[in-house]
Amino acid sequence: MILVPRGLRASNNTVREEGEQEVMWNTCLWRWRIIGIFLIALTVSGCPKKPSPTGSELGDVGDNLDSQGLRERGLAPGDQEARVRDRIAGERDTSGGGSLQDISFDYDSFDLSQEARDILQRNASWITKNSVAKVEVEGHCDERGTVEYNLALGAKRAKTVRDYLVTLGVPTGQISTISYGEELPVCREASESCWQQNRRAHFQLVSR
Amino acid sequence: MRRLERVRRRWVWIGMLIGTFLTGVALPVVEAQIKLEITGEGGRTIPIAVVPLSPLGGGSEPRLSEEFTGVMTRDLDLSGYFQVLDSSHGEAPGEGVTPESINFQHWADLGALALVKGGVLFDGNSLVLEVRLFDVAQRKQLGGKRYRGERKDVRRMTHRFADQILLMLTGELGPFDSRIAFVSTRGSSGRAKEIYMTDVSGTQISAVTRDQSLSLSPGWSPSANRIGYCSYRQGGPYPHVFDLQAGAPTRLIAAVGYSGGRWSPDGSRVAASLEQEGNSDLFLLSPEGREIRQLTERSGINISPTWSPDGQSLAFCSNRGGGPQIYIMNVNSGNVRRLTFRGDYNTSPSWSPKGDAIAYTTRSGGFRIMTIPVRGGEPQEIAPGEDPSWSPDGRYLVFSTRGRLRLARKDGYGVKQLTSGGGDDTSPAWSPRLE
Repeated sequence: MILVPRGLRASNNTVREEGEQEVMWNTCLWRWRIIGIFLIALTVSGCPKKPSPTGSELGDVGDNLDSQGLRERGLAPGDQEARVRDRIAGERDTSGGGSLQDISFDYDSFDLSQEARDILQRNASWITKNSVAKVEVEGHCDERGTVEYNLALGAKRAKTVRDYLVTLGVPTGQISTISYGEELPVCREASESCWQQNRRAHFQLVSR
Repeated sequence: MRRLERVRRRWVWIGMLIGTFLTGVALPVVEAQIKLEITGEGGRTIPIAVVPLSPLGGGSEPRLSEEFTGVMTRDLDLSGYFQVLDSSHGEAPGEGVTPESINFQHWADLGALALVKGGVLFDGNSLVLEVRLFDVAQRKQLGGKRYRGERKDVRRMTHRFADQILLMLTGELGPFDSRIAFVSTRGSSGRAKEIYMTDVSGTQISAVTRDQSLSLSPGWSPSANRIGYCSYRQGGPYPHVFDLQAGAPTRLIAAVGYSGGRWSPDGSRVAASLEQEGNSDLFLLSPEGREIRQLTERSGINISPTWSPDGQSLAFCSNRGGGPQIYIMNVNSGNVRRLTFRGDYNTSPSWSPKGDAIAYTTRSGGFRIMTIPVRGGEPQEIAPGEDPSWSPDGRYLVFSTRGRLRLARKDGYGVKQLTSGGGDDTSPAWSPRLE
């Protein structure tokens, strides 16, 4: 017990004791959302039609993996947790995007510049060519803003990138999004060039 | 003297009857002659002396006395109402803790207008702390309290009497028997952040979460036994609840969201901002995380809900008009009006427990804390900083400035630093008063 010192019985009596939080799924809306999340998870993980015969494909790390490798690297919930944990534990962005290049944004904006569109076209053709690749688009912000607003802004950035990739023909099942707001800067100086590096969409290969 | 002894003994007896309640037992009170009003720059500060505790029996413990004077001095200083005199002057020889036994001239000569004196009585594992406030010029006791508890409760007893001092001199209970939750990088590796909390002195800092992840945007439940926050511990930004008594986090809802849930003042509902296809919308949830109603349905950003004290309205941040601005929604009717018009970047609203004002962050050059009347009107600048949160008495704001927590009076005067070093401290949330 952290909040109320044990000796303070008056306090203990008045602090309401309530049961553990339980997540309940009583409304249809949420039930459908959960089913939706499951369906997406199944699609993304490439739910195997037949079991993987051997583990030999796991050694492949090139850009042109066959679909066999994917099964062992699927998007199980644990993978998502582990990947996010690794991203947070690191001091810098990993080169987890392979050949996929980051794009940058203007301050408080999620509009795509022409330069960003050009990069996204190259990224789109790579993702389309590597049809087994699964890519997570991360939306990031610089630190000049409030935490919650930047989380929401990062989500808009990631979603804008995802939508643009889809218009370029990338299957929706190959892309997921996440916002890290201002929480994972790659540069920590207070300068415009540094802020610009932080205002980015980063591409993280989650399986290939 | 004999009468007072009798009164004292009677109160001790009643104190025993009530048992080990911390709730202070009132000692005889006279009307306060020193009245404090805060007007304009700095207002008037009262020179006050805080005297080390006298042993009332059962032995003495100098460290406990130091703790008492340390916490009391810090609280009185933070309040902005007092100039705490150097207590090393000490007492006049042979002084006691009752008005008859105090050499008021000695304290008047030192420049004190008010005097805090107390004594401690050890009784096995428990102790009794008795503290009184005196008006030096009137040579009168303004009030006193007797607290019973364990050795470790002395800090809290002291905070509670500091609250009483503000009550006696300003007519309103102080905010010191409370906690401040905040986000910090201290003790974390990589880019992780955890939730911490501290007492209002800023010195008793303890870890709340140990997720080794990103823990953001804390907010308190009305009874101050839970903290709502946003955590990446399960692979994305999800609203979580940390139960302080169980010492464990639970996910509130299986949806991505950008703030911890915010409990309504009566605790019956939770407002949360959840992601919908890249947009963020406000939802009303049950405390168990069931959806009651969607409150906003716009493309864009709707975040950072904060409840009015009557539970009828929410202020929030939205970019529906272009840049982020503060809006107010009537929760029942759904009617929304825009509150802020000055500046193009206004975020992180916090509704005063007094109901009349909203504090928020504005960007103009750097980031600044502002307040604005709830009915609208001219914003007032408080201090440089971000993410304001009101004290439970609505007289102070805590916020972060360059990774340090700071406190200011709501008129912007009396800025004090609460934390320093050890990491970046941000997003403070001041708890309701502890009960």
